[in-house]
Amino acid sequence: MNRKLIYFLVSIAYLILIAIGLYGVYTVEATLHVKETPVAEPQNKISIAHTEIFGKLERPQVIFDHGKHVEAMKAEGCAACHPVKKDNVISFDFPKKVKGKSKTDAMNAFHDECIECHKKQSSENKKSGPVTCADCHNKKNDKIKIKYPIAEFDFSYHDKHVRKLKEKIGKDDCGQCHHFYSLEEKKLVYKEGTEESCYYCHDLNKKRGPELTAITKVSAEKGLTIKNASHQQCLNCHLKYQKQGDKETGPTECIKCHTGKYKTVEELSKVSRPDRKQKDRIFISVENSKMKGVPFDHKNHEMTSKTCRSCHHETLKACKECHTLTGKPEGNGINLANAYHQVFSEHSCTGCHNKNKQTKECAGCHYAIPVMDVDSLNPKKDTCNTCHSGQKEKYSAAPIPMSSVEKVKKEIEIKVLENEYEPSKFPHLEVIKKLVKISNDNKMATYFHRNAKTLCEGCHHRSNISAEAQQDTPPNCKNCHMVAYDRKNPNKTRLLSAYHRQCVGCHDQMQIKKGSSFNFEEGDRCGACHKKKVGGPAEIITMKNDRVVKQNTTNIINVWHPE
Amino acid sequence: MDRRNFLKIFGSGVATAATGNLLNPAKTNASEDNQATEFYGILVDTTRCIGCRRCEKACAEANGLPVPDIDELTNKSVLEKMRRTSDTQYTIINRYDTEKGPIYVPKRCMHCNQPGCAAACLVKAMRKRPSGHVTWDANCIGCRLCMVSCPFDIPKFEYTKAMPRIQKCNLCYDRYKKGGIPACVEVCPTQVLVFGTRRQILEEGKRRIAADPDKYVNHIYGEYEVGGTSHLYLSSVPFEQIGFRKDLGTVPYPEYSTGFLFAVPFIFVLWPIAMLGINRATKKDDESGHGENHENKEHEKGKH
Repeated sequence: MNRKLIYFLVSIAYLILIAIGLYGVYTVEATLHVKETPVAEPQNKISIAHTEIFGKLERPQVIFDHGKHVEAMKAEGCAACHPVKKDNVISFDFPKKVKGKSKTDAMNAFHDECIECHKKQSSENKKSGPVTCADCHNKKNDKIKIKYPIAEFDFSYHDKHVRKLKEKIGKDDCGQCHHFYSLEEKKLVYKEGTEESCYYCHDLNKKRGPELTAITKVSAEKGLTIKNASHQQCLNCHLKYQKQGDKETGPTECIKCHTGKYKTVEELSKVSRPDRKQKDRIFISVENSKMKGVPFDHKNHEMTSKTCRSCHHETLKACKECHTLTGKPEGNGINLANAYHQVFSEHSCTGCHNKNKQTKECAGCHYAIPVMDVDSLNPKKDTCNTCHSGQKEKYSAAPIPMSSVEKVKKEIEIKVLENEYEPSKFPHLEVIKKLVKISNDNKMATYFHRNAKTLCEGCHHRSNISAEAQQDTPPNCKNCHMVAYDRKNPNKTRLLSAYHRQCVGCHDQMQIKKGSSFNFEEGDRCGACHKKKVGGPAEIITMKNDRVVKQNTTNIINVWHPE
Repeated sequence: MDRRNFLKIFGSGVATAATGNLLNPAKTNASEDNQATEFYGILVDTTRCIGCRRCEKACAEANGLPVPDIDELTNKSVLEKMRRTSDTQYTIINRYDTEKGPIYVPKRCMHCNQPGCAAACLVKAMRKRPSGHVTWDANCIGCRLCMVSCPFDIPKFEYTKAMPRIQKCNLCYDRYKKGGIPACVEVCPTQVLVFGTRRQILEEGKRRIAADPDKYVNHIYGEYEVGGTSHLYLSSVPFEQIGFRKDLGTVPYPEYSTGFLFAVPFIFVLWPIAMLGINRATKKDDESGHGENHENKEHEKGKH
């Protein structure tokens, strides 16, 4: 009996071993294929698919034709579907009331309100909507994705509203739209000169500082996300004037605001900015600061951005109120120096200037210059001094005179690929003149490129002028870049590569057709610099693998051969 | 000497005697390999490539292949269509039109850390050298399993030849042995390619991404793909946009089969024993009495 049991146990153990082995061998990860549904034209339709409430949907989403319903319910008005709060303010929410908090309650609320109304309409012999499941939850809807582009209330709309409202009311009253929530009085108040952006309190997706968090908490409780708040604010006002028979009032249709078209900074440069009694010029200097003060032209910078928020990201207060010299919790621990100089931030001076340097005209030189404080730990003294002048008066920037560059070499011959091609002729002077012109045409460049030597550094990079004996002439490429491939240090750029990357890189960045790697026209690509050598190495035509093959006997010179 | 080694040597001895050292050419040139302690590889920075195709030309010259014409005019038409490596082209450049403009991508053997082709090869013609080079030897029997097992579609067979070979980039193994660098690396005018130990180029790739996070996507293709490769790619756009497969996973290809192959003898041996055991365990006592006598006696002894 004992032996039987051992037999049995051992064989079971073997079976388990086999099962585990098979399981380990044959379970291979499966790959997922997710198909994206393309975004359809909105056409005043709304997709009802509250995945934030329901999670994964049991039935296909509902595509709700809002335009059709507005047309049908014209007599009843918006209040037929949307709840009315106190002071006759319509909240553009749906459904009107949800009894509980569970999924079923939310689902029932939707179903009750839609189907009830449809039933009522048909009992009154009016044109009505569907009452059965699949008529709304149509399978076809799964292939539709509707997304409205964000409506941008830019400075031109702001300016228009300020002017029109002044005509209608007879005075400047920013309190029509602007308000803030007083935590002590627990209600909305308005004080002139403290207007701020809607996003500060109503954008609930962003983490805010301690003071604003208390306010956004209230917004969240009331369900006033930026979407709900702006619909409520804009549409109620538009509807009010519509009811009064005012023809010039703003739109109430979805696609009229959510156009998906946005104005550029250039288009907005003629529009005046909101007046909040801000100073045109500010001298930024902080007590106990190590650095000298910076004269800052606020008005100029207003014109170069689309919103106040692009710099004043949290409130419209001055930077130094939250970002102190040593940092404090209100400023997220970011100290003043970093607030101004953070390289990749969109709100800092350096970050925004870096972004500007990526434009076509500037990128030719600046793409190769490492951004401050990542690679160049020790920026030159002049670089700091450009802003930190310590003078209250702004430096009046003058364009670089053309006469100052006339002395440079007119043309330079490059012979690295001499065996194959004629020497390349680099129009040195012509290039510099073009760079001077670009610099002079740009306001920011004119301010920062104080003299012609700054422009030289675009190509003659990483030289340290103060350590050089000949301070007037920048170094040659050959002085640093070796001809041979350094196997011990393969990352070092050799001469051949230095030329190609510098020239082609700049042409690519500036989208200059000649000599760019993006260009495919014959003669303009490589031929822009390299002319085939007459009497160069002969091309032998041979037969190889049953096909005619051009055998070129060139030896690429100037590279290190191991043999 | 244990039994395994004995069998190995005995087997190879028989094979050598039988085939005249044809099946085992590795013995002849294994000495240089042993000096290498690290895999070598090439870092390919696709943001730098200008699509001049000089690497294609240099590759052909170095490997005795038909030298392509890389005039501007031919370049234009050649780059218009997508190409694959072929039996006469170890390396090719393709152009991909992406959101960041055209991007040129050199394509050649990735020299995987654990190559599928080498694992699939029946005669060890395809081998991973200690220096990282994946090379092909003439003892190939032409089964073309390496072509099937390559996730990057690289090895190519010379269908038109009487004595066909498998053709693919060997990271210029001959030049490496003489202390040289691959021909493509030597000739590249923009230093797209950096040749060094895998550790060295991986470090450089990471440095470039860290120094310019706006320019590069934060991924080095080949760092973990199919268990790591010796060719590492940097890109400014997501890799699937420039013709790289993202579904390969990080499991080395040989591992898919080694698990299975390991399990085969395991099951063959264990299954009969298990079945026999069950048979023994479930057999009724009186039924066993009909069997051989000595078994019955044993059974009775167990009872005592």
